[in-house]
Amino acid sequence: MLAAVRSATVFGVEGRPVTVEVHVSTGLPAFQIVGLPDEACRESRDRVRAAVLSSGLRWPSCRVTVNLAPSSQRKGGSGLDLAIAIGFLAASEQVDLASLEGMGFVGELGLDGSLRSVSGVAPMVAAMCPAIDPGVVRPVVPVGSFREAQGVVGEGVRVARCLYEVVHALNGESPWPDPPDGELCDYEEPPPDLADVRGQPTARLALEVAAAGGHHLLLVGPPGSGKTMLAQRLGGLLPELSRATSLEATMVHSAAGVRLPAGGLVVRPPFRAPHHSSSMVSLVGGGSTSLRPGEISLAHGGVLFLDELGEFAPAVLDGLRQPLEEGVIRLARARASASLPARFLLIAATNPCPCGGGQPGSCECDDAARLRYLRRLSGPLLDRFDLRVGVARSAVDDLLATGGGEPTAVVAGRVAEARRRSVERIGMSTASIPPSLLDELAPLHPAARVRLREELEAERLTGRGYHRIRRVARTLADLARADELVLDEHVVMALQMRVRLSVTSRVRAA
Amino acid sequence: MNAGLLPPEAYVAALAGFRNMSVNRMGALLRHHTPEEAWAVACGVTPARGPIAQVLARSEVRAAWRRCTDERPPEQVWQHCSDLGVQVVLQGSHSYPGCLLHDPLPPPVLFVLGDLGLLAGRRIAVVGTRNATAGGRQAARDLGHGLGAAGVHVVSGLARGIDGCAHYGTLAAEGEGRPIGVVASGLDVVYPREHRDLWNAVADCGLLLTESPPGTPPEAFRFPLRNRIVAALSEAVLVVESRERGGSLLTAADAIERDIPVMAVPGPVGRRSSVGVNRLIQDGAIPITGPDDVLIHLSYQHGRSALVPADLRARPRGDDIPIYRELQREPRTIDGVALALGHGLVEVAMGLARLESAGWVAQADGWFECVGSPL
Repeated sequence: MLAAVRSATVFGVEGRPVTVEVHVSTGLPAFQIVGLPDEACRESRDRVRAAVLSSGLRWPSCRVTVNLAPSSQRKGGSGLDLAIAIGFLAASEQVDLASLEGMGFVGELGLDGSLRSVSGVAPMVAAMCPAIDPGVVRPVVPVGSFREAQGVVGEGVRVARCLYEVVHALNGESPWPDPPDGELCDYEEPPPDLADVRGQPTARLALEVAAAGGHHLLLVGPPGSGKTMLAQRLGGLLPELSRATSLEATMVHSAAGVRLPAGGLVVRPPFRAPHHSSSMVSLVGGGSTSLRPGEISLAHGGVLFLDELGEFAPAVLDGLRQPLEEGVIRLARARASASLPARFLLIAATNPCPCGGGQPGSCECDDAARLRYLRRLSGPLLDRFDLRVGVARSAVDDLLATGGGEPTAVVAGRVAEARRRSVERIGMSTASIPPSLLDELAPLHPAARVRLREELEAERLTGRGYHRIRRVARTLADLARADELVLDEHVVMALQMRVRLSVTSRVRAA
Repeated sequence: MNAGLLPPEAYVAALAGFRNMSVNRMGALLRHHTPEEAWAVACGVTPARGPIAQVLARSEVRAAWRRCTDERPPEQVWQHCSDLGVQVVLQGSHSYPGCLLHDPLPPPVLFVLGDLGLLAGRRIAVVGTRNATAGGRQAARDLGHGLGAAGVHVVSGLARGIDGCAHYGTLAAEGEGRPIGVVASGLDVVYPREHRDLWNAVADCGLLLTESPPGTPPEAFRFPLRNRIVAALSEAVLVVESRERGGSLLTAADAIERDIPVMAVPGPVGRRSSVGVNRLIQDGAIPITGPDDVLIHLSYQHGRSALVPADLRARPRGDDIPIYRELQREPRTIDGVALALGHGLVEVAMGLARLESAGWVAQADGWFECVGSPL
């Protein structure tokens, strides 16, 4: 007997439909899986056999051949277990073959027949259920993955706790089990609030500007000055994700096996903070069979925070350039290539030198060490930060003051308003205004024009820096609700938020 | 080997670059041998006399010197010196600076670019930390400028920070006083590299000298040795900015050892960059607040000096004055100024921008400092 069951695997952040064909025939007892399965996939033989027997079903002594079509693609992971088991049961006439019509199966089996969640359910379900014809295919997923699947395809998702329940439901002996309660039981930790930050007016403003205009931000300051604390509060300032971005982010999180919020969809902008010892692959994504998305893809739509930027391996930092420029990261391997979404707001923190610096003249590092430290940051990467803000340790008075600063909610309101203006104007964030449109979209007040000319002539500003300053000034004007012209004060503030690191100015400083 | 054609300086120049060679050993070698004999001793051809015999009794020194005689033939070193236009001056020759002759540790050989005649003039060493504040740099520039304009030569080490600034000031004065640079590496090994222009300018307009032969890298142990020459060449050593420890304090110690007066520019109490100078003043150094103080010490007639350049910077006005006052107290970030004055961020930013474009304030790493001379 032959049975064909619909399932899927993940590659990158995309699901790929897989048809599991199971053939049961007489012959020497054997159980074989063909169609380029990887190790985890091949091991499903043992899991499936044990699960079938534990569920009180029969495993007749016969020859079982499983083919995973299309057979030229590599398949990985344990998500095909359920489909293989159901295919076997249908082929061995323990499940009604006709009941498999319009169903798709995803899930890993335990030896006791229980059904377990796997990573990548969202893209797999999306691949099984064609978007043009929703409702034609009803996915069956483990209970734990219900929200995730429902977030992607809407209604019609079936859940089960174990193989036994699936078989009973398919044979019509009992109804499908109810999905878990509609109420969101999980308590979401609220993001940290900006009101906790004492003092630091410039850094606060920089966060606001970064959130409003999508400008990448570099915080420079000694240890203990609150760089990390500030960075963690950026996510809270961003508005909720659009439906499209939310779906993309959900796919990435699901494919990477990162726990999704209780609602099933990633709605709040994600905040990712990989450690500086992270490898290239963990950041950009990779792996042999499935190309698991990396941290920068997980930050899609949200914030990527690189603490101690100078400590990251130079190759890793260079890997950031393509995604910063294009918003996607294209990974190519010998057998396949994938493009993973990676449009994020980059916020980084660094010490000004190995010892942490502080007031001018208090640095204890020798020049060679300073240069070595900052050279890693200099060049193309440093140029991509529109905002470079110095953060100093707060004064004692500030720390002891009772009243905190403005809370996140108030600032987020201004950010949303400024974003709305910018989208009305050009349909994109201010940070991505092309230089050719700057004169039209960010016209300068004459005084501001004179100021920028002076800065350029004094060689305190480079050509590239000039465009970045104008964009930041545009965002500042949006936040101040100055609709038309970008005023001198906005340009001045933008210049103040582009700190000159002594490595870039040291030769002239002599 | 056409050894007969080479001047004695060639042998000493070659010997000076040997491994396991030190100022003391070199001095001892030349006290007991002529340069040609010294070379033969290093080659192992002639037995050594005096204390060098003990040194050469150690096999590793013998072997190192033997190797070096192959690596550094005097012809080649001499050719290198002539190609660079470097003058080689031996202790005991006519052009050897008189102020070094009776030094406790006189350099046996000097490699010179520029005019040795400058050592006949008045000379003040201006030295200080490499991690200077903007205020310290400005003070060094002003002192270099004032002394240069008054005809006093400025001796310094061409290091980053204070040393470089002092010489930049002297060069900018375009007066009778010239820069005299004493460096640790060979004259063709510019260190730090960003001082290439300064290095060349000092060699062209002033005097540049070292006791290391061309090609010598800037090894750490050479800098303290260089400092003793800075001190020995000067009538007084002026330390502009220094931390609790540092090369400039070693220079001051060298000066004290040689009975050369030490001067220091006082700095704010509690700032790390001033700890060293303030301690020097406590220990009896002459406090200096401007070029005139140095000139008075040198018994110069200065009167109402027309040499002080007019400060053409537009004076801070209106709201900028409190901001400037605040920065005069100590360096601050923009946040610090805003909080101290209770002003808005934008207001302070505008004020700082005005002060910076007028040249009263400098910014680095997010900190603002006054460059209106604190003197």
